[in-house]
Amino acid sequence: MSNTDQFRELIEAYALGALDPEDRAAVAAHLATGCAECTKALGESQWLVSQLAYLAPEAAPSDMLRGRLLKTVREEAAAAKTQTPQSALPLWMWGAVAAVLLFAFYNAYEVRVTTNKVQEMRAALEQQIQIQQQSARELALARREALILTDPKSVRIAMPPGSKELPVLQATWHQELGIVVSGQKLTVPSGNRTLQLWLIPKAPGAKPLPSLTLRPDATGKFDLLVAAPPDAMTATKALAITEEPEGGSPQPTTTPIWVGAVAGK
Amino acid sequence: MFLAVFTPSDSREVSLDAALVRRLLQRDVSAFEELYDRHSRIVFALIQRILQQASTSEEVVQDVFLALWRNATQYDQSRGPFVPWLLTLARNRALDQLRLKSERQRRREEQTEELPPAVTMPDFEGSLDEQRRAKRVRELMASLNPQQKRAIELAYFEGLSHSEIANALKEPLGTVKSWIRNGLLRLKEGLQATS
Repeated sequence: MSNTDQFRELIEAYALGALDPEDRAAVAAHLATGCAECTKALGESQWLVSQLAYLAPEAAPSDMLRGRLLKTVREEAAAAKTQTPQSALPLWMWGAVAAVLLFAFYNAYEVRVTTNKVQEMRAALEQQIQIQQQSARELALARREALILTDPKSVRIAMPPGSKELPVLQATWHQELGIVVSGQKLTVPSGNRTLQLWLIPKAPGAKPLPSLTLRPDATGKFDLLVAAPPDAMTATKALAITEEPEGGSPQPTTTPIWVGAVAGK
Repeated sequence: MFLAVFTPSDSREVSLDAALVRRLLQRDVSAFEELYDRHSRIVFALIQRILQQASTSEEVVQDVFLALWRNATQYDQSRGPFVPWLLTLARNRALDQLRLKSERQRRREEQTEELPPAVTMPDFEGSLDEQRRAKRVRELMASLNPQQKRAIELAYFEGLSHSEIANALKEPLGTVKSWIRNGLLRLKEGLQATS
């Protein structure tokens, strides 16, 4: 269903004044775009709605009302005639100008209200889109992680700790999809410290290559996906994890806590 | 196509209204008098149906015709017939008055305009005798199911919104929306078919 079709279905109720405020603001905003089809439909719907007046039981106003009204009109007409000819506009026309201005102010106010409403709706929509995009990204990462963990081509790397009190971590490396490192029952580093993954190159004398930082959750569990490792598996001798200042370091500043040898396929 | 309801004399009626409005713009009191005599009955009937009170209704009728006298320039003859425009103005004024006595002020403030916008005459409209028009509209509305007719009347004569009508009739909102739209489309088709 096109945008116009969607609003076209609301035009009769809009002309009737039966739309709830939110729908009414949406239709007003659409009409403000100048949609020719809906503008024509609105004019015809207003005519149709006006025909409902004939449902009212027949009745007639009193003769007194007629007399009162004509007296007022005659007085106003006479007053207009006696106005000085220098006046560029007769009094009634000033009244009309005032009414037009009032109507214009009212319209400007309604446009402003409608514009604000549209902006609010647009902001809400953008927020929804961002949430959806974030969810889609997380889902893609979760799928990638699952593929790395289940693909037979992945290499499993045990990362024993330097101390017996710490748990063994498990890394899984897939040539195309990246590295997943996971562990449980870790002690959470102090506030301004973090853990960092390193790739130790095979090349003699080459420096460790920095990778991502990680922090276990409150239960000591973590799950790290490195989608783009800084080097290939075939060029890497080992993976290591050190404790570093928050934000990570370009080179290790502490002794590795976990190290796992890479035996590439 | 217009034999049953629309006759050559009817289009003369529309032309007469147009001529009277042109004279009204020249501050011709006799034109105003004639327009009042031609249309005050339907205007009063509509307003009294909305307000249900004769004395207040007469005050609103007076407001409507004075607005016509003072602001006739706001009626654009090129964009539609006079009577539907006048009836739209009368309904808006009556609902404004009703609003003053009810708790629906906020919603009506958002909806009511000082003077109504242009009303476009559909291709099949032509102009028809007022009595036959009233008879045909009543027949078509009577052919709707009673709840559907009631929903449209609540919207038109009491200014209720979809949600308010759903509450009043204790029916689902979607049902009320369908009733109103389908009812109006049926009225339109009925008027077209008559032509």
